[in-house]
Amino acid sequence: MMNKSGRKMVVVPCSGIGKPFGTVSREAAYNLVEDLRPDATRLVALSKLVLGDEEARATVAASPVITIDGCKMNCAAKMVRESGGTIAKEVAVQEIHRQHKELRPEGIAHLNPEGQQLARVLAEELVTEIDALDRTDCKEEGSHA
Amino acid sequence: MPEIPQKKVGIIACSGEEIAEGTVTRLAALKVLHEMRRGDTVTLCLPLFLAGGEGERTFARFYPTITVDGCRLRCAARATERYSAQPAESIVITEVAAELGIEGIANRRNLNESGRRAVDATAEIIAGFVDRLLEKKDLDQERDGESAQVGAQTTPGTCSCGSGIQVSNLEIDGKLTKVIALPILMEQFNMEGRPADQAVAIDLLAQARVYNKVPLESEPGWLAAIQQEYASYCCAKRGKS
Repeated sequence: MMNKSGRKMVVVPCSGIGKPFGTVSREAAYNLVEDLRPDATRLVALSKLVLGDEEARATVAASPVITIDGCKMNCAAKMVRESGGTIAKEVAVQEIHRQHKELRPEGIAHLNPEGQQLARVLAEELVTEIDALDRTDCKEEGSHA
Repeated sequence: MPEIPQKKVGIIACSGEEIAEGTVTRLAALKVLHEMRRGDTVTLCLPLFLAGGEGERTFARFYPTITVDGCRLRCAARATERYSAQPAESIVITEVAAELGIEGIANRRNLNESGRRAVDATAEIIAGFVDRLLEKKDLDQERDGESAQVGAQTTPGTCSCGSGIQVSNLEIDGKLTKVIALPILMEQFNMEGRPADQAVAIDLLAQARVYNKVPLESEPGWLAAIQQEYASYCCAKRGKS
């Protein structure tokens, strides 16, 4: 089943392996594409964009993209832009963490419950954005018809 | 001039978010880093080769790297080679699994039993490569010795990239400046018994220049700051001995 507008939004989390925030970004992406909006979203691996994989570049160029970054380097957002993609929503895990300081993520290979909760909160906030963008898409398609 | 001692091996996992094998690369790299070869390895986020900066690309000039890829696209190996240097070793999870008869790796979020077996097997392979690259003979003895040594030293700062490359924060011409690799260079010079004079500052700067951009007009400031930092380093070392 597809979303209302008929096109899936691409989600690109960062591949951060040095800090728990990177794992939160990955977990939030899985929350979105597997649990919350499986019909409206799909993942693209950041490593493919780093390499310049043509298929991955075409995918991010063809759909609105949500990037989730785990550190100030903003690798996911930078790589999507360099790959010709249009970012519909750019999120930094730290920003969400600032609003939910009680959810302190720990563990890189295995996130603690607080980290998992932070990922869930982030994903739920993105759901609102995704649904709003989906409605906009539908209206635009309707106005073209 | 001294060469930077080859003390660590860099592990670069593709971390491919789309497939379960990508999760295997990530967990295997972390297992080696945190459990099996702690102190001998550092990890590097692949995208930082492009999005990061000089610190990341410098990485492979310091350390031999092992890339770990989930699939035959070999994003980590190819990107490392393209943006930094040829990896010393490359592993592809689908090939490891095929060789070891591990079938049905699945569930990228929470790996199934096959995935967990692949993590363990891959971590063993990586650890073997690490030992070979570091030419470890009596591993336990050396690791114990290194741990004791590390514990006795102050912990220097590391590069913000998270790679573990040591940096010094120096005030140069009134600006706080990160000098990549200076701690390891000072360690080398100190081991050679070099005194904290101007000559050592010149030699340290020459080495530091390989890993840092040093504008010509800032050279006097760099020299003064490096000499002062090295003098402090030597004092601290003497105080501990």
